[in-house]
Amino acid sequence: MLNWIEERTGGISALKNFLTEDVPGGASYWYVFGSATLIALVIQIITGIFLTFYYAPSADTAWESTKFIYDHVAGGPFLLSMHFWGASAMIALMTMHLLQVMIWGAYKRPREIMWVIGVILFLLTLVLGLTGYLLPWDLNAYAASQVSIKIAGDIPIVGPAQANFLQDGLQMGTLTINRFFGIHVWLIPITLLALVGLHLAVFRHNGAAGPPADETPRKFGRFYPDQIFMDTVASLVTFAVIVALAMWLPAPLLAKADPTNSAFVPSPAWYFFPLFGLLNLLPGNMFSIGSFPVSGELIGTAVVPAVFVGILLLLPWIDRNRKRALNQRPYFVGFTFLSVIAVLGLGWYGAASVQAHIAASPGGQTPVRGYGAPPPGAEQAAAGGTTTTSNPVALGQAVFSQNCASCHSANGGGVPNLAPPLDNNPFVTGDPAKVIAVVDNGLHGQTVMGKSFSAQMPPWKGQLTPSQIAQVISFIRGSWSNHASVVTEAQVKAVK
Amino acid sequence: MSDPTHVHEEPETPEEISRRTFMAQVTVIAGTIVGLGVAIPVLAGLVPTKDVLDAGKPKWYPLNADEFAQFQKTATDPMKITFRKTVVDGYLMNTTDEYVWGVRMTPDQEAQFKADRPDLFQVPSGEVKYEVPVTYENIGIALFSPICPHLGCRFNWNKGAQQFLCPCHGSTYTKFGKHMAGPANRGLDPLPFKDTSGIAQVTWVNYDQTVADRVIVSYT
Repeated sequence: MLNWIEERTGGISALKNFLTEDVPGGASYWYVFGSATLIALVIQIITGIFLTFYYAPSADTAWESTKFIYDHVAGGPFLLSMHFWGASAMIALMTMHLLQVMIWGAYKRPREIMWVIGVILFLLTLVLGLTGYLLPWDLNAYAASQVSIKIAGDIPIVGPAQANFLQDGLQMGTLTINRFFGIHVWLIPITLLALVGLHLAVFRHNGAAGPPADETPRKFGRFYPDQIFMDTVASLVTFAVIVALAMWLPAPLLAKADPTNSAFVPSPAWYFFPLFGLLNLLPGNMFSIGSFPVSGELIGTAVVPAVFVGILLLLPWIDRNRKRALNQRPYFVGFTFLSVIAVLGLGWYGAASVQAHIAASPGGQTPVRGYGAPPPGAEQAAAGGTTTTSNPVALGQAVFSQNCASCHSANGGGVPNLAPPLDNNPFVTGDPAKVIAVVDNGLHGQTVMGKSFSAQMPPWKGQLTPSQIAQVISFIRGSWSNHASVVTEAQVKAVK
Repeated sequence: MSDPTHVHEEPETPEEISRRTFMAQVTVIAGTIVGLGVAIPVLAGLVPTKDVLDAGKPKWYPLNADEFAQFQKTATDPMKITFRKTVVDGYLMNTTDEYVWGVRMTPDQEAQFKADRPDLFQVPSGEVKYEVPVTYENIGIALFSPICPHLGCRFNWNKGAQQFLCPCHGSTYTKFGKHMAGPANRGLDPLPFKDTSGIAQVTWVNYDQTVADRVIVSYT
């Protein structure tokens, strides 16, 4: 039987040849990141194909069909969340693979082409992440993609054409979804698969690079079963982590994209936090070259990434040191180490800036599905409950969102320099009589919690009834992280 | 696997070399023709057409009659007046509810309005072309786009402070849309208004944000 197949295909000897490949220096868990990335890619392809069986790309159907997957598809939320977390896993594993190859010096001659293909694969995966982010067409998808398109459009010379190609119209709309879908589902995956094949073919041609040493290792391991076993263990761990994340932290889906909600603060995917941090760190206007102004945005979104990618692509030619042993190339190892620290630091700063922006935003951040969403049925309960409630806190919420939320923001976070936060504000949770006096008579020019705020708090006495004032104060004292007592109408009337 | 004993042997005559060169060239040319034949129309098809990049023509939308009547009779503060808007999004036609901020003023206030907002009473110069001119002369009302000229958030009327306030970045404007404080670069944007045989109508204009000049991006 095997001979019959071998005679007609040559497959058996090809497989044997593949499995008996030498691993210089022996098998190692350091070598598992490439194959683990491949496993994550396979998971992405399978779950992605599954999602296209339900997903329909258009402004009228993208969000609706995504929600349908959550609500009416057997295993839908799980598979969708696997696709969501699989993307993160793929990027994390690729980064590890890239760093391992860098530190081992495995990009050096004769593996330059393999390295360049690898860097391109990394960039294509980031584009996959970026384009996939838009497809659910929720608030975050819309706002984040608008930022991405704006960044692409602000790059000198090629920018406008890039933005036109991505957006296909004067505003983001249904044609943009179709474009991103075509890029995410056909263009990039096909290119990616072809390049993965090339990456592996060149890898077989060169063989494994082995440990970072300059003498030929005496010990040789076999690809099968030694390295295959370690790769299998890593793949299993990768799979288990993706499954666990998909089960415990299902992908969040926010409310449907709403172009009129421009107050929404988008949160980028975590792997763009370093870029986001860099952008937040740079000042608006930096300097001018001739009459051409160079903004921090241009540096952060175009210059620094271009230099970074350029260095990665040309690394085998920039670092011409033929030695691979770590102690023979201290500058390179030190520089790599510092770069990793810098990227992690910027990422941490980016994450903190996102949190700060979200805390100051008027809302819309609570998902309708997935991690952080209220349990099913809560929507109806809330909708039915507010109409008949006599709870002063619930009644106060309506008063608050109509009159106060525009300055103090729906989450009580206030607006920096304009209106103070009410959440976590000791004055708000302190003496009720003082709070009532401020709401009654207004306030201006006071320093609140060590900061000054420019907007004038209008006097609400006469505009709101005492019972409404009691309700709204009860609401602000008992909402977010505040836990102070409710205020009664009698207390409001007692304050002059 | 090729058999090493079996090797092509062809005479290296000039005719043979010329024949082989010819066939190689034909292969390359044919491949280029097919490649370009596919690539050119595909890439050309991805360039956004004039249709989708069209700024559109100004459209007149009737304002909600009840709300407008109430506005004309009683409004002392700026008031939201709603209307129904149809927007073409690629191959979709969407009907959405939209609103404008209506400001009603007494003759005294009108003088104040003119003094506050010279930008609304001058004929725009340069390349800015208003296909529908905004004429607020002596009609006693102004209609403002609800989109903040800073970064496109929706601002609110703060009755207590008697000013428009944008919740996103804190730009404030007077009742007449004059920019008071905050990061915006210009006052509130006007929307063309007309009243033909008792039907009040508005044209929706999307203006460029951030910049100090009022530049029309599209009519939707």
